[in-house]
Amino acid sequence: MKFYPYKRLNRPIALRVMSATLKLPDGTFDPLDTSAYSVPQRTVALGVAQHEDWISARIGLSATLPPGATDADAPWSGLRVLAVLTDGDTNLRTTVELRQDAPDSKEWSGQIEVLRDDHAGRASLAAYAVATVDGVEGRSITETDADWTVDVVSEEPLGGLRLDVKQAGFSKSAREWLRPYADVPWVIDTSGRLPLVMINTDVEGFSDLLGGNGGGIENKIHELLLSQMATDVWTAVFHSAVGDLEVEPDGSPVFPTDWRGEVLREMLPDVAPGLHVEEALRRVHRRRTDDTGWVELQTRIHYAAVRRAGASKAVANALRALQQMNREDSE
Amino acid sequence: MEAGEEFGPWLARQLKIAGMTQAELAEELGLTRAAVSAWITKRSVPRPTVMGEIARALGTDLGTIHTRTTDTQAGLPVTWYHRPGYRDGGRDGGNAAAFAFDADVQVLARETCQNSLDERLVENGRPVRVRYTIHELTGEPLEAFRAAILWDELQPHYLAVSETAADQKVGRVVDAGVRDMFEKGRLILLRVDDYNASGLTGDDYDDGKFAAVVRRQLESLKSGSSAGGSYGLGKATLWATSALGMVLINSTLSVPHEGRTERRVIGRLELPWRSVEGRECAGPAWLGRPDPETPGAEVVRSWWADTETVERLHLARDSDEPGTSFLIVGAHDVASLASDKADSVIDEDENGGSEDDGTRDITVMHRRLVEALGRDFWAAMTGGGSRLPLLETSVRTLRNGEVVIPEEKVDPGVTQPSRTRALRAFYEGTTVDRLTQAGQVALRNVPLRLPLTGGRRGTLGIHQGVLLVTEAEDRDGVPNQVHSLRGNRMTVRKAGVSGLPLGVNTFQAVLLVGQAAGDSAPFAVEAEEFLRAAEPPEHDRWGQTEELTLRWSHSAHYRISRLTTEVNAAVKELVVRPKSAGSQENAKLRKKLTVQRKTSAPKRASGPTLPELDGLTAEIGAAGEWRITAEVKLPRADELPAMSPVVLLDVRSGSRPKLDWAELVAVDGCEVEGGALRFAPHARRAVFKGFTDVTSHPVRSEFTRLVLELRAGAQGSEA
Repeated sequence: MKFYPYKRLNRPIALRVMSATLKLPDGTFDPLDTSAYSVPQRTVALGVAQHEDWISARIGLSATLPPGATDADAPWSGLRVLAVLTDGDTNLRTTVELRQDAPDSKEWSGQIEVLRDDHAGRASLAAYAVATVDGVEGRSITETDADWTVDVVSEEPLGGLRLDVKQAGFSKSAREWLRPYADVPWVIDTSGRLPLVMINTDVEGFSDLLGGNGGGIENKIHELLLSQMATDVWTAVFHSAVGDLEVEPDGSPVFPTDWRGEVLREMLPDVAPGLHVEEALRRVHRRRTDDTGWVELQTRIHYAAVRRAGASKAVANALRALQQMNREDSE
Repeated sequence: MEAGEEFGPWLARQLKIAGMTQAELAEELGLTRAAVSAWITKRSVPRPTVMGEIARALGTDLGTIHTRTTDTQAGLPVTWYHRPGYRDGGRDGGNAAAFAFDADVQVLARETCQNSLDERLVENGRPVRVRYTIHELTGEPLEAFRAAILWDELQPHYLAVSETAADQKVGRVVDAGVRDMFEKGRLILLRVDDYNASGLTGDDYDDGKFAAVVRRQLESLKSGSSAGGSYGLGKATLWATSALGMVLINSTLSVPHEGRTERRVIGRLELPWRSVEGRECAGPAWLGRPDPETPGAEVVRSWWADTETVERLHLARDSDEPGTSFLIVGAHDVASLASDKADSVIDEDENGGSEDDGTRDITVMHRRLVEALGRDFWAAMTGGGSRLPLLETSVRTLRNGEVVIPEEKVDPGVTQPSRTRALRAFYEGTTVDRLTQAGQVALRNVPLRLPLTGGRRGTLGIHQGVLLVTEAEDRDGVPNQVHSLRGNRMTVRKAGVSGLPLGVNTFQAVLLVGQAAGDSAPFAVEAEEFLRAAEPPEHDRWGQTEELTLRWSHSAHYRISRLTTEVNAAVKELVVRPKSAGSQENAKLRKKLTVQRKTSAPKRASGPTLPELDGLTAEIGAAGEWRITAEVKLPRADELPAMSPVVLLDVRSGSRPKLDWAELVAVDGCEVEGGALRFAPHARRAVFKGFTDVTSHPVRSEFTRLVLELRAGAQGSEA
């Protein structure tokens, strides 16, 4: 629980994206459709197939302050509203001041410039109302309770984290590190910005199987393979996430802010049931760094991965299809 | 001299009313019958001195005879005429059309506004103004009103109906209405006025708007092809809303009848079959002036009332603009019970003692009327560019002439902000092709292929409907809806768009078809006719109807389904981000590898639960230390683990500096043991206090943000 040593507003700011416009290398502007952002998902997707090489994006913003912010008898003065774009990957912060639409209005608006070269992937966008309280300048009296995500790569404005899937022939790939793995159908790389699943097109018919939409037994095997792959992916990303934690001076782990945090939040409830995620992370971290308990935890990690991959359903479907086939054969 | 009607016809009617022949008048005036006949046939007018004598003979004053704007009070007085029982002994338990509706002011609003819209005077281009007045009468004004409607004449009829209350729906309603008036000493009048409408024109008995409303059932004589109603059911809502089954009418006509336009008054009563003083009555009754031309001069007809009479009947109109006033006597709103149940649980407790059933709460009626008008007629009330709105509506509430809620003009922009914005943008021509900015309105044309009539195969032509899409606002209600309208500007069809992907911005869409699509749209008239035929009496959808089948074919309604498909496709094109052609990723695999953002609050963890922080207050002490008081919620468990409170300072990034405790004090439900809290068995709450050690603070306390956490186990054992 948090506590501030000064008066604040109880309710959050409502921040909305109103438009998104790309600035192209030739100096022209391309206003994106409003479908480039999603209000329910609080996400702006700036990746557009036609323009890989945009220079910057201008995002129109509108913020609604909660009641009481502009009251004449409020215990603060010099109210300003700021939009702040924070990128955890590049450690970059951009701040712009929003303008009040009309005197005494609760609505503030403005635009923030997102430079393509400053960001690698997802940055979060929040709004703060700051004012002078008790003689101290720049105190935040309220902020947005849920951040917007600005994704400079993605084409779909979806809030959830999506792991990357790519296909390549491993033996002759330009990615040299893949060559030693030429005899396996897929590998997982968790070292990048996003976990990446590489599918080996050298395995004959494999990519056809994955891309195909056949019926019957083929479909079931397809599903089974997918769930197998997904199990591998989830196990790998979990290990990668807990293996790379920042630690506070007292030894307790800091919750990661990037995809690792999202993966942990998703999986920890199954790995350490009955605990809040922070507490669960502390326990898992302790088990990993201490001498005992890490091995015992593997079953639970595997369980969490299998559940996410939907393996039970895939296995059941495949079995049913096989039984049916056997019956048809024997008739 | 301001003369209402020509002298001849006026005198003829006065004689008829007075039951006097031309010869009798001539004799009284000491003139020849030919002289009187000459006046009536407009061949001559009487000399001024004779005028006075005529006035005396008719029992009226000189003023009336000069202005001739009302009838004389001579002859048969205004009275109630009850239709005699059928000779075949048949009995009606009420008006069947009225049974189609419950007493619901929102349905009333819909049907009456619809009628007013259909009767709008189109030539002047101005909107039709409809005003709802809720007027509660108690005490003396109630007495006066009862006298005006000749209550004493009606009393035996209501008594007779009440006797049947045990086994008849209408009887019960009427019985309850009468009892409410006497036991609670109040009566609610709901008045519906329209201005700039045609009024009840036409003869008392022959075809015309007057007879359609006052005399007939299930007959509709609507003025235009785009009219909303076509079943003639709507007017029954007027009577359905009255617990007493009584509606009084005052109409100002747009086309003179009998040389007059103002204050045509009649009342109509809808009661079930009854026997009063040995006479059987079929059901309906009319308040009017006995018509001497009918057998026994029993049947009553509308009369041209004077201003004093309409005042007493609460029927006075604001101006001489044509239109009609309906006064629903004893209005009640049964439907308000169902709709209010959800949000007024507290009210119920408050009113528990008053034993009021809530169907006669005038403020609720007011609110529900405003709500219904905004919801159903936002499009008709929206104008823009050079186009005036078709309709203006307002609601006011009075009690004994005193204002309770002042006149409130219904503003569609308040109740339906995004749809109103869409329509206004269309009228103003400010629509865009694609949405690039929140608040814009996008326009798309969608084709409706009209079939040939008479079951022939083939297409008559393609009507281009107008689809408007804009961002939704919270006040619009359910998001992602398409509201479809035709020429009468009423929302006929409301449907959601299905199959939208995750994360689509909420929107509202308006589909304008038929004459609503604009005058330049091809086949607008034909589309209007086609869709009107596809509309059921509820006016809430387009689909297979008998009329559609008879005039077109059995498969004609597929054309409407196809329109819906086109509309949904067009909406999706506007609001859904297109998938780039290059992405061949396997959809199933992607789905499996997506971490969904949690939209709902995290579920309470199952399994063994731990004590949780439930409250925190803190202040900075004199020495700069944090002094905190915290409350802990304890789960129900036999044994709870010890928990260590940890104070940290919140930071933007990096690890959070931890503060040391100078002192930790148990207040309630727990004890402190080596920096950890041990909770008393079976306690549900625990409270503790603590002061931080100032020497462990990295910065001044005023610039810190305090975070308190409870961690399992005794402090120090985990490091």
